[in-house]
Order: sequence, then C-alpha cells, then structure tokens
Amino acid sequence: MNPPMNAPMNPVPTLDIQGLHITLPGTARPVLDGVDLHVAAGETVALVGESGSGKTLTSRSALNLLPPGAVVDGAVRVSGQDVLTMNADQLRAVRTSTVAMIFQDPRAALNPLRRIGDFLTESVTLTRSMGQADATARATELLQAVGLDDSALHKYPGQVSGGMLQRVMIAAALMGDPVLLLADEPTTALDVTTQAEVIALLAELRERFGTGLLFVTHDLDLAAAISDRVYVMYAGRIVESGPAEVLFAQPRHPYTSALLASTPRLDAPQGRLAAIDGQPPDLRQELHGCPFAARCPLATEICDQQIPEALPAPGLPHHQAACHHTDRLEGSPVDA
Amino acid sequence: MPENALEAVGLHRTFGSVRAVDDVSFTLPEGGSLGIVGESGSGKTTAARIVVGLERADAGEVRVRGQVRSARSRGRAQRLARAREVQMVFQDPYLSLDPRTSVEAVLRETLRLHFPGTDHDQRVRELLDQVGLGTRAAEARPRQLSGGQRQRVAIARALAVEPAVLVLDEAVAALDVSVQAQILNLLADIREQTSIGYLFITHDLGVVRCVTDDVIVMRKGRIVEAGPTAEVLAAPQHPYTRLLLESVPRPGWDPEAIAAARRAL
Repeated sequence: MNPPMNAPMNPVPTLDIQGLHITLPGTARPVLDGVDLHVAAGETVALVGESGSGKTLTSRSALNLLPPGAVVDGAVRVSGQDVLTMNADQLRAVRTSTVAMIFQDPRAALNPLRRIGDFLTESVTLTRSMGQADATARATELLQAVGLDDSALHKYPGQVSGGMLQRVMIAAALMGDPVLLLADEPTTALDVTTQAEVIALLAELRERFGTGLLFVTHDLDLAAAISDRVYVMYAGRIVESGPAEVLFAQPRHPYTSALLASTPRLDAPQGRLAAIDGQPPDLRQELHGCPFAARCPLATEICDQQIPEALPAPGLPHHQAACHHTDRLEGSPVDA
Repeated sequence: MPENALEAVGLHRTFGSVRAVDDVSFTLPEGGSLGIVGESGSGKTTAARIVVGLERADAGEVRVRGQVRSARSRGRAQRLARAREVQMVFQDPYLSLDPRTSVEAVLRETLRLHFPGTDHDQRVRELLDQVGLGTRAAEARPRQLSGGQRQRVAIARALAVEPAVLVLDEAVAALDVSVQAQILNLLADIREQTSIGYLFITHDLGVVRCVTDDVIVMRKGRIVEAGPTAEVLAAPQHPYTRLLLESVPRPGWDPEAIAAARRAL
C-alpha cells in the first residue's frame, strides 16, 4: 500500500513518540526502554512483537492509557501536543476525537445490553460535539462505509457476527474524525477471510479519511502485507525499523530474521522450523546489554555488556537496527 | 496393511436447524497426521469433539484401531479405556490446567488413574523429558510457567496414557510465533518416536502445511476438499480452498479482491 496521493505533506507527524521509558512497580527493568516511533499523516505503520514485548503499551501511550503506578519518561506527541503532560480536559478531547482505538476482541469492548446505535453515538453526544440527530446520521453513514446498513443501529451486539462487530468497532472509532487510529490486533480473533475484509476496509477508509494507522500485531506476514513501515519490538525496545518490503527481504536484526524463519508459511521449505530457543527475558531480570543476546546465534561478549544503538543501514537512512553484529547478517536473511 | 488409528464414517450432527456436521468421513492411518481446516462455524471443532466423545453424533460412527467407539460407555473401566484411545490438547494452555496442581502432580494423577498400583517415577521423568521440560518445571504450578511450557505440560499429560490418537484443537494458535515453532517441532519429534496419530484442527494453513500429511477442508459442516496436504495446497480444486489460500497475508496481497471473492462465493 502506498500513502494516498492526496495526503497533505504535513511536517508535524500524527504520532511522535520520543525516548519513551516506562517502569512499572515490582520490575527490575523498564517495560519500555527508550522507544522512538512516529506515524506520518495518512501513513500505515505496523508495530510487531511477541507477547510482553511492550507493543500494546506503546500504542496505548498515545492515549495516555497507562497502568497504575507507571513511572514515565519521554514524550508522546499527537499532532505536536504531548499527551503525557496534558490536563484532564485536553486528554478527554484527545481520547474522544483525535485518537481512536480498535481492540482485539470486539465482544469485550461493547456493552452487550446496549444497542449498537447507542454505542456508536454516545461518544459524540456525551461530549456535546454533535446533537443526537446529527450523530445518528453520521453513524448511518459510517455503517454504510464499513459495509453494513442502518438496521444494525437497532441490533444488540449478541445479534451480529464477530466480523460484523469488528466493523461496528471501526465505524465507532471513526465517529470523532480521528487523525490517528490505533488498531491493537484487530483481526487476530477473526477468520482469515474475514481478516482480509477488515484489512481491505481499513485501507479504504485510510484513503478516504486520511487517517494515520498504527497497527499492532504479532503477525509478521500481515504487517508486511499492509504497512508502509514496520517497527519490530523485543523486550521493551525497538530492535529494528524500516520500510516493510526492505525489512522483510533483508532483515538487519537477528531477532527479525529469526522470527521470519520460525513462521510456518506456505512458500517455505517443508520440514522442521527454525525455532528460536529459549524465551524472552523476564521483567524481573535486569538487562545490561542487548535483550536478545541470550537467544541470538550471533551474540558475542559485547552483546551482554553494551546496549546496541539503533543505526541506519548503509545507504538506507530509514532502515535502522539495534545490533552489534548487523553486518554479519547482511544479505543473508535466514530462510531455512 | 497397517491398521488405521482412526476412522470416522458418515458423521452427522445437527443443533436445532443448523447442520454442524453433515456427512463427514475421514481416516487417519497409524502414526499419520490429518489436518481439518475451516473457518469458525465450519464444523471442524464439532467433528473433533465427536471423535473425542465430548459430543454425540446423530448418525455415523467412529472407530479407533478398528474398534467402534460406542456412543455411551458403561462403567468406570470402560470410560477409562475410552480415554486411553483418544486424548485432546486444547487451545488455551491457561485454562486447561488446574492452577493449584504442580506439573509433576498433574502427570502422577493421570498415571495413577489409568495405571494404578505401579511406580510412576520413571514414567514421569520420561514424559517430562519427552516434552522438553526440566526438573525445575516439574515442581512449578501453571502460573509460574510460560504459555509454551504450559502447552508442553498439556501434551505430556495427553501422552501419559499412550493414546492411539491425539486431537489438537488449535493447540498452537494462542502461542507466540517463536514458541509456536518450538511446539510444532516437538510434535514432529513425538510423532517420529511413537506411532501416535494426530488430528490437527486449525485455521492456519501454514501450520497445516508444516505438520500434516493429509488435510480435509470443511465449510458449513461439509467436507469440500480432501487429499494429501501438499497437493491440496499446491493445486486447490474447490473455490473455497482457493479463497482460504488467497486470504493468507503476503506481500502484494490484495485484501479487496479476497473480500469480493468471499462475497461472490
């Protein structure tokens, strides 16, 4: 997917996270340890990582939705405004209109006792940014945009399928004309064919409304297929980032390369998978060097002692990897 | 000729007006691996539950090593014998283990139930070893284990009774990619070492390709395509199988075309 041609060349990124550190009580190291990430207007960015890598926390930071007791350092700017320093009123404005979120399980995000129409209109009517009649008209329009008709307004969540409900969630997210959509594993609970439909819909809506999209997923192939740029997270750090096609064809971090090799896919050679031994580091464990060192085939002494900086690939300033031995990986994506 | 580990013949099951399983037949050779793919509502899980005995078939029969699995078993001994034929590993390793029971105690309980009056120390060590769990994990309770380790425990518990068939219902779907690969490799190793047959229920075609010899594709309760996995994935005959294959994300993927094809089907 290319960025839409009519997207304004906005110098202020829609989302700009800089040096974000988050420490939770009872842990030996930060859950997020210096995360830098940006999403330009109308851009689709994928944030890829396994459970516990910090990808969900990163995306939630755009709404300042952080766990209680979190100690935060860094900046999270939405259209230039830092959400971490906002007062309650400003934050409410961001959460109701500027930034919207779609969750993994639509059934858990909707009140089963209220009609879909009420769910769609309540955010804008409660903030008085729209009257009930306007809100209903807008809800009908958006339901049509996501391929549903207005009969859905009167239904309860239990009366529609999971795929339809996820479309309702997308329509609800667009009610406040957000500049940024955070989608946290929005298709993980759906069947593959339904997933394709929801993705097609998100792409179409992005072109139509020029919304920036931060797509959080554990599925590398999905990330490659839909996004302009990809960030790969491991143990609270961005280990690699770059344009989707380059990053997957020529990964520069051993973790990205190992993840690609361990994915069972249709075009890979058959036989045993190249599994990554071991597990991600526990939060109770302090890290002095590269978080992936213990599982990395290329690791040497320096990897345990010094945290690698994110450095650009030669000739590709936007393709960065935080690895001491990225040169030893170059041109050799581990496929087998 | 080797005996079939599992045969299902003409299975039917309706829930109200819904035909969840509609004339489904398949065979799983000893030591073989059969995948059942399909979307939610295709009937794949109901078919698997009938095989295990968690669901009753309206018509049709299931045979394990040539013996018909009767609809109802009489008495404790027969129930246990049935359990030893087919074991199941569920999707969520967080829900399928008792949080108060240590790993070793889980295995001992199963062994004591099925093989009373013998010493199980040796077998417990063997099972832990077979699924790649160390002695430290043996003393742990489920919450102290990672998702991958818990799934290893569930597999060890299923293997403890030496079943003919292991039914794996989306058994790797909830795991992270790097851990999923470990478990898939483990399952391949176990199949090499034993003559156990796998019935692998999944929606992930990459996983099917990785661990099964044969595959059946189900849609709306019926089998729409069946054959050797490599052939079905390389040259799908049914439009629904083609749609499933095209829906797998890859670079140059066209979700809009898939959405259109899905509506047309």
